[in-house]
Amino acid sequence: MKLFKRTFVSFSYLIIPLFIVGSAIIYFTFGYVIYEEADEYLTYEMERLMEYHREHQDLPDFHRVAEIIAGQKVEKPFFRDTLILEPSDNEMVPHRELAFSIHHKGEDFKIVLRHLIPGKDDLLEGTLLIAAGVMLLMVAVLVLMVSYLSGRIWKPFYQTVRLLSGYRISQPPPVFPETDIEEFSSLNQTVTGLLTKMNGDYQRTRDFNANASHELQTHLALIRANAEQLLNQSPGDPSFSENLRNIQNATIKLSGVQKSLLLLSRIGNLEFCNAVDLDLLDYLTASLDLFREALELRGIRLTTRVETCPLRMDPGLAEILVNNLVKNAVKHNVKGGFIEVTLNCRELVIANSGLPYDGDPSGLMDRFVKGTYGNMGIGLAIVKQICDLHQMEISYSIAEKTDHALKILFPRE
Amino acid sequence: MYKGPIMKILVIEDHPGLLSAIVEALEAEKFLCERAADFGTAEEKIHLYRYDLIIVDINLPGGSGLEIIREVKRLGGETGIIVVSARDALDNKIEGLELGADDYVTKPFDMAELVARVKALVRRRNFGGQSVVTQGDFSIDTQSREVTAAGRKIDLTRSEYDILLFLFSNAGRVISRESLAEHIWGDHMDLADSFDFIYSHIKNLRKKITTAGATDPIRAVYGIGYKYEISRES
Repeated sequence: MKLFKRTFVSFSYLIIPLFIVGSAIIYFTFGYVIYEEADEYLTYEMERLMEYHREHQDLPDFHRVAEIIAGQKVEKPFFRDTLILEPSDNEMVPHRELAFSIHHKGEDFKIVLRHLIPGKDDLLEGTLLIAAGVMLLMVAVLVLMVSYLSGRIWKPFYQTVRLLSGYRISQPPPVFPETDIEEFSSLNQTVTGLLTKMNGDYQRTRDFNANASHELQTHLALIRANAEQLLNQSPGDPSFSENLRNIQNATIKLSGVQKSLLLLSRIGNLEFCNAVDLDLLDYLTASLDLFREALELRGIRLTTRVETCPLRMDPGLAEILVNNLVKNAVKHNVKGGFIEVTLNCRELVIANSGLPYDGDPSGLMDRFVKGTYGNMGIGLAIVKQICDLHQMEISYSIAEKTDHALKILFPRE
Repeated sequence: MYKGPIMKILVIEDHPGLLSAIVEALEAEKFLCERAADFGTAEEKIHLYRYDLIIVDINLPGGSGLEIIREVKRLGGETGIIVVSARDALDNKIEGLELGADDYVTKPFDMAELVARVKALVRRRNFGGQSVVTQGDFSIDTQSREVTAAGRKIDLTRSEYDILLFLFSNAGRVISRESLAEHIWGDHMDLADSFDFIYSHIKNLRKKITTAGATDPIRAVYGIGYKYEISRES
């Protein structure tokens, strides 16, 4: 949820109790004020009438007051509420009454004054209208304020977010724009610190990989070249030749393992981020072609059910992914076995016959890391790393002990 | 053995041992070699002399081999370039070839592999129309991939042809089965039975050669691999 939207949602939770409490306050305040005003008016009227009586010794006219009752004395003027039927509306209407008495020509007269006050429904209606008006005004002000705030005050924050989302680890950390808001400035500093550290680690890993690779492979090349030279000068002694071949083999194996480890490290270091739109089918076709000879020689039956599979990934990684999977299926196959390849836009499944396996297939997933089972570990570890990087789900299953299947689910767009 | 005009090759490699090994292997094939062990020397040499071919390592003290390639290309001429690098980083490989390198070898490589690549490049660069190489009874047209033995054309599969050409290019040298497997299938085939594949390919190859009436030049070297015997009359 956007900051903007969240502010409004939070505010709308607040606005309902605010409306209720506000309405109650307005209602009671108005009620109180109306009584006060009515009482005040009636008191003034009473005083005026009494003054009039004192000066003219005359009672007010009947039509000027509500009631004049002769022979009743009111000790002390009092107020009370009453409902009077209003004939025109045929409705009971609330009134405020003030009763007092005047001594006129030796007789007491009770005089009642009345003043119309608004009914509870009228009061409520007014209250709600006012409250709604105020709330509306508040929402309007808030909208203006929040838009202004997110536009202006939050600007550095959004700039930071934009720079970060466009950041690639291989680039130097971006320069965040200056801001005088302390929190954002501290955020930018922290992020810059983290990115600098990350970028440094990335570069160091990259350099280490390159250097380790260069040094190792150069010396391996030298060992291999010398062994080769000796082979050609070999006196024909089988044990001598055997030793040289062992040396040569060891360098080839070592170099292969080192390359695989390096590749793992480089994929982990996110050095392959040249993602393009590609069709995995092209890579699969090329890969199957590459191993066709091996399949023929081992008498492995290949069946394919393939469709185009558009993906967005690094072409080098796509090639490695497919090659390693196909190679795995060929390598751990048996003479006269089978390979079934299924590819569509949702999944890639490579099923193959293999040696019987009694254990738990999830145990094979663990071997990805350890690689105790020949070279299988490292090749599939690379596959797994590539899958993880592209949010693909990989699973391994075994049916009837000899039918192995590796399944990769592509992420849904 | 390479026969033809003398080829001048500049080998740029910072490791002295490997540099010597490369130079020795190429000189054994009668190529004329010069050495450069660092960026400065290499840069100087490419400005002073003309080479038919340059073998350059990417990681060099004082600069990058990619820079050398750029410079050679800028100077113009027909110099062929083979990049040697320990970084088989996919990006580096592409960068080297994009800059105009002709081929790419990753460390560690067999000298047989390097020699075969050098010869292939020399053929592509210098012989133009004459893409046919001859050795004894055999002549191989590397452009049309046609093999003629004792005057008769032999039909070979892709792998059989590759094996024959590789052995042919390294005539007189012992080629281990590992080198052969690596040459033909690259990194993709560290399969346990790849030697069986090579064995059956060689068997088929021999059958085709003898059926054509030529003498089989491939000799098995016990426990190691194979060797293309140089026929005496050549």
